[in-house]
Formats: sequence, structure tokens, C-alpha cells
Amino acid sequence: MIDRRPIIACCLLLLAPLLPTAAAFAANDGPEPIIVKDAHYGEILYYFYQEDYFPAIVRLLAAQEQAKVADHADEAELLKGGLYLSYGHHLEAAEIFERLLADNVNQEVRDRTWFFLAKIWRQRGYLDKSQQALDNIEGELPKNIEREAKMLQAQLLIDGGEYDRAIALLQDWKGKTEWSRYAQFNLGVAMVRSGRIDTASRILAELGDIDPWNEELTSLRDKANLALGYALLQDQQPRAAKEFLQRVRLEGPFSNKALLGVGWADAELDSYERALVPWMELRGRNLLDPAVQESMLAIPYALAQLDSISQAADHYLNAIEAFYEETNRIDRTISNIESGQFFDDFVEDDPLDSTGWYWRMEQLPEGPEGRYLFHLLATHEFQEGLKNYRDLNYLWNNLNDWTDNIQVYANMLETRRLAYQERLPKADAALERADLEGMVDRKLEFDSVLNDIERSNDWLALANVREFEMWGEITGLENTPALSANIPEADEVRDKIELLKGVLQWELEQQFKDRLWRIRRDLRQTGEALVETQRSRRQVDDSMQKQPLEFEAFSARVYGLEPRIEGMKMRVGDAMAEQRAFLQAIAVGELRAQKQRLDIYTVQARFALAAIYDRAATLGEASVQ
Amino acid sequence: MTRKLLISLIAGLVLALGTLAIAQDAAPMDADAAMADAVAADADAAQSRDQFRQLDQDVQSLKKEVLDLNRDLFLLEEELLFPANSQVAFFISMDVGEYFELDSISLKIDGKEVANYLYTEREVGALLRGGVHRVHMANLKTGDHELVAIFTGAGPHTRDYRRGATMNFNKGIGAKYLELEITDRIKKQQPEFVIKEWE
Repeated sequence: MIDRRPIIACCLLLLAPLLPTAAAFAANDGPEPIIVKDAHYGEILYYFYQEDYFPAIVRLLAAQEQAKVADHADEAELLKGGLYLSYGHHLEAAEIFERLLADNVNQEVRDRTWFFLAKIWRQRGYLDKSQQALDNIEGELPKNIEREAKMLQAQLLIDGGEYDRAIALLQDWKGKTEWSRYAQFNLGVAMVRSGRIDTASRILAELGDIDPWNEELTSLRDKANLALGYALLQDQQPRAAKEFLQRVRLEGPFSNKALLGVGWADAELDSYERALVPWMELRGRNLLDPAVQESMLAIPYALAQLDSISQAADHYLNAIEAFYEETNRIDRTISNIESGQFFDDFVEDDPLDSTGWYWRMEQLPEGPEGRYLFHLLATHEFQEGLKNYRDLNYLWNNLNDWTDNIQVYANMLETRRLAYQERLPKADAALERADLEGMVDRKLEFDSVLNDIERSNDWLALANVREFEMWGEITGLENTPALSANIPEADEVRDKIELLKGVLQWELEQQFKDRLWRIRRDLRQTGEALVETQRSRRQVDDSMQKQPLEFEAFSARVYGLEPRIEGMKMRVGDAMAEQRAFLQAIAVGELRAQKQRLDIYTVQARFALAAIYDRAATLGEASVQ
Repeated sequence: MTRKLLISLIAGLVLALGTLAIAQDAAPMDADAAMADAVAADADAAQSRDQFRQLDQDVQSLKKEVLDLNRDLFLLEEELLFPANSQVAFFISMDVGEYFELDSISLKIDGKEVANYLYTEREVGALLRGGVHRVHMANLKTGDHELVAIFTGAGPHTRDYRRGATMNFNKGIGAKYLELEITDRIKKQQPEFVIKEWE
């Protein structure tokens, strides 16, 4: 077991990225030490921390299958839930959490998890599940999350048409925080939907006069002013409308509509010259914006009111021409989207380095479609649909890679099988040649001989070759007939031989025990080696028996997985086609709506132009008469 | 063309934004128009939501099946390429990392270079947070082997740093996991590189 530095307990960590501010999370929960006990668990964390959720999940599933994360069994299951959630596999994640959160986890973690699930489910359109998840929250959430959870609850109530309950929840929202402003806005929306327009107007008027401290709030203020301004305009209160519309920033997502509205307020007050000022400003802006399109009709309308008939006619003609060109561009874009090319480009451009719920597309691929569909990115269905399409494309590529790999493995297996079959006869022959039992018998024989030598203290038996030869020579000399002569020279030689023999015997006796020990040691090692060889032999026999079975088992797996991959590829392909059709329908629907609006404007422009020509003709006839 | 018609067109657009997401949309204000828009928008939204949900459920189910398939393939790959009897896995881990910023690692087994790995910032970040990277897998015979690991990166005071660590290990029957750990020696204000067997 290897200790490593403390990291935040994984069960909390896995949820941290889901929070609006991870820092807030860290501030509320002190890090708890954790020890990575299984290397494979650490490896899963390695991918998780890099937000590579797919490989992390695969490794976790494999490690669980092989019981390689046994020391982290509970954490691993919770981590799996978190990984599924991060990967956007929310239904599976919920099943795990429902099982695990019942009693194993402290209430705060459990409540937070339900909150995050509720948030994801609302975003994915699972409103019933989102409500159930919120209902599962039992304790108090940290302040920042509690506010978000309350807002989520209000949104779900409004989604479900329960406006009174939503109003009750939102109207006692305390403080002047960012959240309270959002609450105020949603309260206004709920009021409108429940028919309480006057109250809603007061709420939005207050919201439209706040001093914002960030871009989001500025945008919210603009939105409130815009909605209120248009409502007053429709209610025949142009002067009041103008006041709110003029609060909207000149550069911002709502500025075009506000400028158009200011112009209409002036027009309602019969100040057509004044009205022309904001409308002329719109002329230089992006024609894709409906407010800009409408200004192209509003300008000649004002000019006509100011009796600048000829200029008005020119502007109407310009507008008709511009709308015609724009309509053609939209038609081309619709064709491109319907051909599927747009979404092919989208997945080709995408680096696919990460998948999952956190991914958000900020920019559509470059091209004419992108400019028309840009605001679709703000809608949940389109964003989530794109995520799914992207995830499916990831699965498709993943399966393609496996198709290649499985083929390689099949080849590898065949090669191994052939190599094995070629080597088998040689191995059999070699094994037959190796007389292992004979070796064991010989070893036992040696043991017995050595025992006899020890028992009889046969020091000569342990002499080396040189000593033995020397001993032979000496004893040979001893038996030389010449030495038996009774002469002094023979006596001298006999004495020398005796001396040599004594010295050699003394040395051999001296070294006997040492030599005996060494030989016994060598024999013991030989015995151990023989045991090891016998074990290896058994393994070889065993694997020779098992190998064909293993080949069969691997073949079954390889050839069994191949059709599974192909089948899955077909299903992923079908799902991609369905998802693409869904996205295409949304995109084309949006484009058709834009086209329809242009058609209406074109009809209006033609009608106005005809009226101008009529008027001019009438005036001409009158002057002739 | 009437003024009212023009206004109602663009006003319709403004009012049609009246859904409920935070800081996203404007609210309808005219009672009749707002209610009519809201009802129509709700019906469209509900239909679109149902369709999306059906597709999403299919995608969810496919994801699960592909993940399970990937698990089976992953296991097959590992068992085929690195049978348990000969498998040796080399893992890298980092502890604190105050005194060493890892750039790359090189592994030699029995004098033969087997792996060279260059780390990205993201990978180093994952190691620092407690992740463990399996840098190499090998098939080795039973018996004694020598592992030499060379760590390259930036040491204290962001100076180039290159250190080696050696370990002799015995490969028995069954898989073996070795951990190459980078730790901080606070007393010496130096990094330390240790190789040990993962028990």
C-alpha cells in the first residue's frame, strides 16, 4: 500500500466540477486525506482528473470485473456514478446514486448529488425526474447551492404551469444579489403567465433600473427594459415606452430591437424625423437581425409620412432586393443542412478530445449556416442534441478503431497458434530427450555415495584429479621392485615416498570436511534445481495441455466480439442519423421561420410600394386635370 | 402597411422569447399575445422536449452498451497482449511536486530502452492531484531483472533536472506492479525518485 499526498475525497471531488464555482465547494469542504491503495484505482483517477471520462469509465469497469479495485470498492462505485454523470450518462449515474446514496454517504453529499442530477435533468428536458431529484433533498444545502436549487424549483414549477406556487416561492426572495435579480425576472415571467400584467410591469420596471455589476445583470436589465418597453408600446403608451427602451445599451444583444422600438415610439408620437434617427442607425447593422430587417421597412414608412415619396420608393426597392437576396441565401443554407453536410463538417471540425456533459459548443463551424443558426446555440435542445451527436460520433470512431484492432488480434492469435503448432513437435522431442527422472535417480545415487564416503571417512574419494593421480603415482612408486633392495639409496627413496604420501594424506584428511560440505552444498543445489526443473516441466506439460484450450477461448472472444462491434456500429450509425434529423429539423425550422418573416416583409414592402405608386399616379392625374 | 402590423411583428419576436431560463430570455408583457405565445411556445417546447428525450434515452442506452463492449475489448486486449503470468506494469505517481516539474520519463529494462514518455501539462496536473499513470506494460520472464528510470524536468529554482533511479526486481509467477514515485524531500529541498513494488 502506498501513501500519497492527501487529495480531496473522491466522492466530493467528482462532483466539484458540476458546481458553478469550484472554489466555493472547496471552501465549504476541507480536504480529506485519501490513500490510493490499488494502482488501478489511481490510474482511473489519472484519466478522471484529465476529464477523459470515457477511458476512465472503461478502465473502471475492467478493473471492477477483475477485482483490481477491491480496496476502493465503495469509492469506486461512487466514482463510477460521478464519471457517468460527467460523461453525460445521467440515467446510469442516477441508478448508482440511488443505490449508493441510500445509506452509505453523508447527507450533505447526498443532497448535493441530487441537486446536480436535478439540474442536469432539467437541462435535458427530464422535468419529472428533475422534480423527483429535488424532492430527494432532505437537509440544508450550502447557501450558494441552496439559491440555485430554489431557482431550479421555481423554473420547474413555471415549466409545469404552477405559476402561483412559483410566485409564492420567488416573491419572498431576500437580498439584492445576482440571484435575487434572476428571481425577480422569473417572478415577472410567472406573473405574466398567470395574467397579472400590472404587477409584472412593476417588477420589470424595478429590474430595469438596477445598477448592474456584471455583464449578465446588464443583459438582464436590458431584457427587462426591452420587454417592458414593447409592452407599453403595444398598450399605446409610446412616451413611457421610450423611457424604458432608451435604458437599453446601444451596443448589446438587445440594442437593435430597442433602437427599432424607440423609432416606433417616436413614430407613434408623429415625430417621424426623430424616428428616422434610430432606424438609420440600424441600417448599417447585420441584416440577419429581424429588427434590422424591419427597420428597412420602417425607414421608407417614415419618409413617406414626411412626404419624401421618391426616397421612400427607393428604400422600399432596396429592401425588396435585400430581402430577396437574403431569402436565396437562406434557401441555399436549408439545402446544405438537409444534405447533412453541415453536421458532417461539424464533427470533422471537432477535435473530440473530450466528451460529456460539460462540453458546450460556443461557435458553429464557419460558413453561411453558422450566422443563421447562432442563436440556436442558446437553446437546451439544440445544445444537448449537438452534445449527443458529438458523443455518438465519438462512439462511432471508437468502434471503428476497435474494428481495426480486433482484426489485428485475430491475426495475432492465428500467428501464435501456427507458431505453437510448429514448435510443439520440437518441444515434445526435447522433453523426451531430457531424462529428468534419470537425473533424479543419479542425484539420489550421489547422495548415497557421499553418505558412504562420510561414514567411512574415505578422504581419498574426495581427492581431485591431480591429487588422485599423485596418490596413484606415489603408491605406484611404493610398489616398485627396486625399492625393496636393501641398499641405503633405496631406504632414502622409501623415506621420501613415505613423506610424500604422508603429506598428501594429511592434506586430503585436512580438507575432507570442507570438501564434503562443498559437495553436499552442490548436491543440495542440484536437488533444488531438479525440483525447479520438475516444476517447470509440470508447467510446460500443463500449458501444453491448456494452450489449445486458451487458443479456443481467445478465438471465441475475438470472433464473438467482432459481430458485436459491427452490430453496435450499425446502431450507432442509425442513432446518429436520427439525432442529425432531429437537429436538422430544428435548424431548418428556424431558417424557415426567418424566411417566412422575410416573405411577410417583402409582401408589405411591395404593398407599400404599390400604394406609393398609386399615390404618385393620383397626384399626377390631379395635377394634369 | 400599417404601423400596428409592423410593431406586432417585431413585438411578437420580443415576446416569443418569453421562456424561463435564468438570464436568457425576455418576458411576454401583453396579456393576450403573451398567453397565446406562451401556450404555442409551450406546446412546441413540450413536443420538442419529448422528441429529444426519446432520442436521448436511445443515446444513453447505446452509451452503456458501447462502454460494456469497450470493457470486454479492453480486457481481451490486455489478456492477449500481456498475459497475467508474464505481465509487469510500471506506474508513475507524484507526491506534492514542489521541487520537481516532470517533463518526461525514460525506462530501461535489463539495459534495453522500452519506454519514453513526454508529459503534457494536463497529465502532470492529473498526477499532482493523485492520479497514477501506467507508463509501460511489458512481458518478462520469471527471474531477476533490472529497471532503470530516468526522470527529466525542472528541479528547484526551475533548473533543468535529470535524475535516475534503479531497482533490481524478481519476476515470479503472476502479474507484477512497480511504482516509480516522485516525492519531495523537504529537509533537503530536493525531489526524490523511488522505485518500489506495489504491494
